[in-house]
Amino acid sequence: MIQEFLDTFVLVQGWLLDKVVQPSLLALGLGSLVEPAFDGIEFFLFGVIQLAVAYVLLRPLEAWRPVEHWPDRRAVRVDVLYTFLDRLGIVPLAVFAILSPFVLGLDGWLRFHDIIPPQIEDAFPSLEMHPLAAFFVYLVAIDFFEYWRHRLSHTLRWWWALHAIHHSQRQMSLWTDSRNHLLDDLIGGAWFALVALLIGVPPGHFIGLLVAVRIVENLSHVNARISFGRIGEQLLVSPRYHRWHHAIECPPGERFRYGCNFAILFPIWDRLFGTQYLAATLPPTGITTPELADPVHADHFWRQQADGITGLVGVIRKRKAPG
Amino acid sequence: MHNSGMFPQKTSTSTVRVATALLLLAGLLPAAHAGLAIALNSADGTVSLIDTESYKVIGKSIACKEPHHLMATPDDKSVIVACSASNQLVYFDPLTGKEQKRVRNISDPYQIGFSPDGKWFVATSLRLDRVDIYDARSLTLKARIPAPRTPSHIAFDDAGRFAFITLQDSNEVMAINLQTLKKEWVIPVGPTPAGILMAPDNRHLMVGIMGEGVVEVIDWQAQKTLRKIPTDTAAHNLHPRGDGRHYFVSNRSVSGGSISLLDTKTWTVIEKYDVPGGPDDMEVRADGKELWATARFGRRVQVIDLTTKQLKISIPVGSSPHGVFFTGHAPRK
Repeated sequence: MIQEFLDTFVLVQGWLLDKVVQPSLLALGLGSLVEPAFDGIEFFLFGVIQLAVAYVLLRPLEAWRPVEHWPDRRAVRVDVLYTFLDRLGIVPLAVFAILSPFVLGLDGWLRFHDIIPPQIEDAFPSLEMHPLAAFFVYLVAIDFFEYWRHRLSHTLRWWWALHAIHHSQRQMSLWTDSRNHLLDDLIGGAWFALVALLIGVPPGHFIGLLVAVRIVENLSHVNARISFGRIGEQLLVSPRYHRWHHAIECPPGERFRYGCNFAILFPIWDRLFGTQYLAATLPPTGITTPELADPVHADHFWRQQADGITGLVGVIRKRKAPG
Repeated sequence: MHNSGMFPQKTSTSTVRVATALLLLAGLLPAAHAGLAIALNSADGTVSLIDTESYKVIGKSIACKEPHHLMATPDDKSVIVACSASNQLVYFDPLTGKEQKRVRNISDPYQIGFSPDGKWFVATSLRLDRVDIYDARSLTLKARIPAPRTPSHIAFDDAGRFAFITLQDSNEVMAINLQTLKKEWVIPVGPTPAGILMAPDNRHLMVGIMGEGVVEVIDWQAQKTLRKIPTDTAAHNLHPRGDGRHYFVSNRSVSGGSISLLDTKTWTVIEKYDVPGGPDDMEVRADGKELWATARFGRRVQVIDLTTKQLKISIPVGSSPHGVFFTGHAPRK
């Protein structure tokens, strides 16, 4: 059964490589990209499967136990567009193309000066023999860094100007996870690349790690009355847990000044760093920034992108203004 | 190394030794395998161990991050697996598939090769545009040579005076002088050169040109291209049949993949076999009856019967299989 699935998967992957990707790359003189392109096709196919699985499993949940009923779902449509651009690899490909020369340059420079970037296995060599344990350790490590990336994107005003696009959705659904400003995606990509360089994320784990994160992220944005219970919500981010992260009104208290529940996968980080908020209620989602709350912008991809840039420029100008 | 419980543990007591010997005789505990092929699953970071008689995968070992290429040590007692993303060389026993040792802090080794005089160990870093030259005995770094862009495969002249490297993205072949440990020259070749091998006459270098589907033949002393021999789409790697004359060329297309047989006396392709899945690295049995090739994009090792010229069996392995090796292989010329 598994072998049949793999064979079919490889058949489709190979066909796309043979008929579409490889001829184009060879014609462009980019033959050495054939191998990464093969991985890219795998990424694309996983994205297709993931989209299908998310829709088949999560959409019925939204229909069955919705937190909110929306007679007009126009605002959701733009999130579907964001999701397709992200999951099918268009945004990640652009981010990869922009960042890889810098990351390779840095890696090359370090090694040329006899600095081999560290790996988790250097500290724990036994992980080399236990790939499943290594996968989990890398997952936890990446989630730790993702917690801080996410928290900083709320704390730093210039970054928040971009990340606010993700939070401006008042009709939060399974599609909302990918709703990000393109610059925010680029910064997130750079962050991940540096983390990967710092801890040595195994290339073979990369797609698996990404799939694990994406599944939980799709689920955590779902418009459904779902919680994992008191204990479960300490183990894995649930839709109710993450809904509080998207709440229009932050919970009271100075420690929630920039928001709460920043964890992506494991709520332990919020608990450890004092940003956890647990409640049985399900708050409305969105933000109150006037331009971003404007319904005219609610279903418009490019307007949202422009809003992010406007916000960013505004923050930079304020910083430069005297007094 | 995980060995799936296949191998007996060492013990010092004679009783257990006798018992083990009896069990071995009874066939209950396999030891050194009669014919063992080692295939590297570069994306999984594992090594598939394949019985060359039954064509069954009899074990899988954890190797490292991105094991791409492998080669025997000059004494044939080990197979070295180059783990580019782990910055390691992992040594395996070629008869049992058991891990022997790890050498760390070898920065990003992709292709590896010993110079014929046994003096140098050369490793390319495909990702980082660099060739590293180590003392072959101590594996201490002696030179680090910039090689933009994308240094890939390695060949040597018979005397071990030069290492020749294909530069995949700048469409060149670079010669490194192993006496001065410096770049000697760089010459242009066709688009996306990959595999490179010295012909038996020690005069002609053969280069697989992916972008044109040809083998480009270079007179390396004159530093000029003599001819281009069409093979098939995405001509990639070369491997000797072992008769001092014929070389296999893997044409790494997925559905239309093939392997051509090149005659270096007449410089013509004399045979071609259909090999799906993107054939890449190859190995030939000493008796000349079988050609094994990793199907890079097909998650398989393909075995071609050289008598019938047909694909004999397709062995499922891990993801992105790249290097393949077995003892009892044909000569390397």
